[in-house]
Amino acid sequence: MGPDFSAALPYLPHLLHALAASVYITVLGFAIGALFGVPLALAKSGDVAVLNWASRVYIEAFRNTPLLVQLYLLYFGLGQVGLNLSPFWSAFAGLTLNNAAYTAEIFRAGFESVPIGLREASGALGLGPSQTFRYVVFKPAVRNVLPALTNQFIILFLFSSVASIISFNELTNALQELVSQTSLTLALFTFGAALYYTVSALIAMASRLAEKTLFRW
Amino acid sequence: MDGFAQYLPPLAQGLGMTALLVAISGVIGCIAGLILGLAATSPLPPARWASNIYTNIIRGIPPLVILFFMYFALPILFPLLTLSQTLTAVIGLSVYAAAYMGEIVRGSIRAIPVGQGEASEALGMRYYHKFRYVIIPQAMKIILPPGVGFLISLVKASALASVIGYDELTEEGHIVSTLNNQPLNVFLVVAVFYFVISYPLALLGRWYERRLA
Repeated sequence: MGPDFSAALPYLPHLLHALAASVYITVLGFAIGALFGVPLALAKSGDVAVLNWASRVYIEAFRNTPLLVQLYLLYFGLGQVGLNLSPFWSAFAGLTLNNAAYTAEIFRAGFESVPIGLREASGALGLGPSQTFRYVVFKPAVRNVLPALTNQFIILFLFSSVASIISFNELTNALQELVSQTSLTLALFTFGAALYYTVSALIAMASRLAEKTLFRW
Repeated sequence: MDGFAQYLPPLAQGLGMTALLVAISGVIGCIAGLILGLAATSPLPPARWASNIYTNIIRGIPPLVILFFMYFALPILFPLLTLSQTLTAVIGLSVYAAAYMGEIVRGSIRAIPVGQGEASEALGMRYYHKFRYVIIPQAMKIILPPGVGFLISLVKASALASVIGYDELTEEGHIVSTLNNQPLNVFLVVAVFYFVISYPLALLGRWYERRLA
């Protein structure tokens, strides 16, 4: 029995809609997670002992446990203490907290890649600490780690599929639902895999383009 | 934490199953990754194409979808390929690991200066000897840090095997938490168990990197 692609074709709009939810939760989780990642990175390489220690614990805890377990803790675990998060909020919080830890390590590597002499020169030229950070450290650092950030973005997108397990209605969840309703298993999973592949290939392409255009100075 | 002693044995058993799953699929993934990496840098175009297509496609699909595909969709295409949960978990994670390891091996071989290969050839070495004695020993140093990093990813991805019913740590946590209604306590212990496998690997990777520097 071969795959019945033509029979599965009418479900494509539904899958595209679900794909949009996958992209949406990934973009949200990545953007806000990266926002937390910057102070985490600064805390880890800074010399305030408490912040240093706290950021280390946070980063190691999230990088050394599975996203699925983190989502279970948010979705089922918090329910035990009366905090019932919806699938969306659990998935959003999980991807954000998880991504913050990963991007923190990437940003830290980026900040360390900017030579100390540049910072000293910037101070000598009369730029304040915040100006130095913004113009002399941050932008070159991000350019240096752009490939790593893109990789992390693609991995986060692929792992957003895990949110299907706590019944957040994204692409993998929609696939499972349709498969159980239609039994067009092979065709639907092939479509799903192709959609994931297409989006991650597009992200990789966009990043190469950004590297060439966004950071020219 | 009441009943802690009661749910510790099933979780410990799950931890063992996780370690077993990661060990087997890690070994298969590393061997397949080495072959893929060698194929990607080989002089034969079909070998390069096949390797690139494989790593490229697998790295663009979520591991969860790979597992679902193998468990639900493959038996329809090949009715003889109806795999048990254990076999699906092992093969699915190996397929996933092979692609990422292949990419790491390819990059590491590429990082070895071309002169090394040319010198081996000038000395009369065949392909096998060139790789066995010149390229791979040097590439190994470059492979190890990201290789250990990926092994940590594999430990975490192995949690996904719970979704197709393979009885590992996360699945045990799920079973126990539905029995005692304490998901917070149970999954915190599950998280600590994962940390216990993963963090030493992270330290090992860092120690090795420092030793290289």
